[in-house]
Amino acid sequence: MSTASTPVRAAVIRVGDYSVRLRGRTVAAVAGCVLALVAVASWSASTGTFELTPDRLWAALTGSGTHAEEFIIWTVRLPRLATAVCVGACLGLAGAIFQTLTRNALGSPDILGLTQGASVGALGAIVIAGASTTVVTGSAAAGALGTGLVIYLLTRGSDPSGYRLVLVGIGVAAILAGVNGYLLTRSDIVDASRAVFWLTGDLAGRDWGQAATVAAVLAAGGIATLVISRGLDALRLGEVTAVGLGAGVGGVRATALVTASILTAGGVAVAGPLAFVALAAPHIAARLTGSSRSFLCAALVGALIVTVADAAAVFGVGGRQLPTGVVTGVVGGVYLMWLLVTQRKKGVMP
Amino acid sequence: MTVSPSPLAVENATLGYGRLAISEGLTVDVPDGEFTVIIGPNACGKSTLLKALARMLKPSAGRVLLDGRDIHSRSTRTVARRLGLLPQSPIAPDGITVADLVARGRYPHQGILRQWSARDEAVVAEAMEATDITDLASRSVDELSGGQRQRVWIAMVLAQQTPLLLLDEPTTYLDITHQIEVLDLCAKLHREGRTLVAVLHDLNQAARYATHLIAMRDGAVVAEGAPADIVTDDIVEKVFDLPCRIIEDPETATPLVIPRARPRDLG
Repeated sequence: MSTASTPVRAAVIRVGDYSVRLRGRTVAAVAGCVLALVAVASWSASTGTFELTPDRLWAALTGSGTHAEEFIIWTVRLPRLATAVCVGACLGLAGAIFQTLTRNALGSPDILGLTQGASVGALGAIVIAGASTTVVTGSAAAGALGTGLVIYLLTRGSDPSGYRLVLVGIGVAAILAGVNGYLLTRSDIVDASRAVFWLTGDLAGRDWGQAATVAAVLAAGGIATLVISRGLDALRLGEVTAVGLGAGVGGVRATALVTASILTAGGVAVAGPLAFVALAAPHIAARLTGSSRSFLCAALVGALIVTVADAAAVFGVGGRQLPTGVVTGVVGGVYLMWLLVTQRKKGVMP
Repeated sequence: MTVSPSPLAVENATLGYGRLAISEGLTVDVPDGEFTVIIGPNACGKSTLLKALARMLKPSAGRVLLDGRDIHSRSTRTVARRLGLLPQSPIAPDGITVADLVARGRYPHQGILRQWSARDEAVVAEAMEATDITDLASRSVDELSGGQRQRVWIAMVLAQQTPLLLLDEPTTYLDITHQIEVLDLCAKLHREGRTLVAVLHDLNQAARYATHLIAMRDGAVVAEGAPADIVTDDIVEKVFDLPCRIIEDPETATPLVIPRARPRDLG
């Protein structure tokens, strides 16, 4: 059922009063991301110091493997994989929301200071309190949410697609980076190395509890995004047009800022500030789908970047594992550069 | 005068930005079924009035009434089914096609599970037909000329299917040919039964196309009525400080403003 009379490039499914539009290229991109995610996840679940053949992986997954196999899969690798997927999806979604909201290609939690806020929370807990991992996680989440709140209060009532939100965010980020520097200089060597390790971002040793926490944040954020997605879409036409079309602009913006802050807090608290994911994922998704409207694709690309990066991190360099955050920047950055260069040659995108 | 109630009105309103009041105690009725054009010098409050009518600006005192009820007490979606707005400089997302942009006009009629009904499709096709952009449907909006782009935006507002249309300086960035093209299109939309309100800079175009004129100065309405009654030498001088003569437009018999030559120009 294609639309012949108006060439809106989409397939339409209609059942009674209900109708759904599906863009072919978006569906293909989403399906491709899901397949790639499954492939990378299977590969990374079966490789490492303890190798599993595909049939042994299947046996372990279905509960007919050896005790050792099942331990490796269910206690070590799957929780880490699930965390990687959910953290990546949270960050990709948060980045897509911020970029839509600010109508700025650089609008991301890294630029707006939320990541730095999470870092202040985590470093404060490590350096001042010498706290446990659970407390560090909670403190990082509180830092990100607090920063989101401050930015919201400072920019309330102004159009976030202007420079105000981005400039306020940059200012807040600079202040928080200073605080982080101070916390590092006054810490002893053990705390400092723990802090620097947290600042790089890593997924080693994540358990089901952490995976479930991020999954819950992702589910809540995903539902909120679905609710405001139409409004965010209208806002792409500018504030005045969006109001004219009947979008509840104030509510959409507040919900978007809160949702993106919570998603960032959830992702960063559990995995640390994985570099570049939130910034790169929406751009990569936009280039895959040929449209910047798919939040689902941005989330999937985020999940893919973190999963690939984590697999590469486990694989390591010279037999030594790397922190995940070292690799995300490289994976996401290289892929984005490649897309920008090749698509520029084809003249598809600026 | 018509007795039919005004679909859109400003009632004793104070309009402004922050503490700066542009208009105080402003009362304006938009007459039903007319093509109303608001004229006046720069900073006279005409754009502010249009913003208030479009619910973009909430009066600090007084009310804006849509069908007799406070526009801000109604859901923005309900309002969007009654009243369409063409902003002065709307933003088209990068790479969006003409058909996709026009389809955005269906927003107030759609929902998460009602994304593209058969009616949406028919209305969008109709709106593109009416604005003569059907051939451009799959083109990217970025690559269109200013005149074409303005017709695309008008089509988007038409797809919203509202009996009321507000247009904020629809001709501003266009050359003369495209200005006339857009105004002819507006006149056609008015003939088809819509109520239009536009802000225009060009007094002669306003006199030619409007069926109802509102002349503003310093935030207040100086005069309103049919162009033939409003575009007179003393009202134009009062509103614009422009000494002028009024002659009859040889094409349409509407008033035509001829600014008086200054003594030095007479040589």
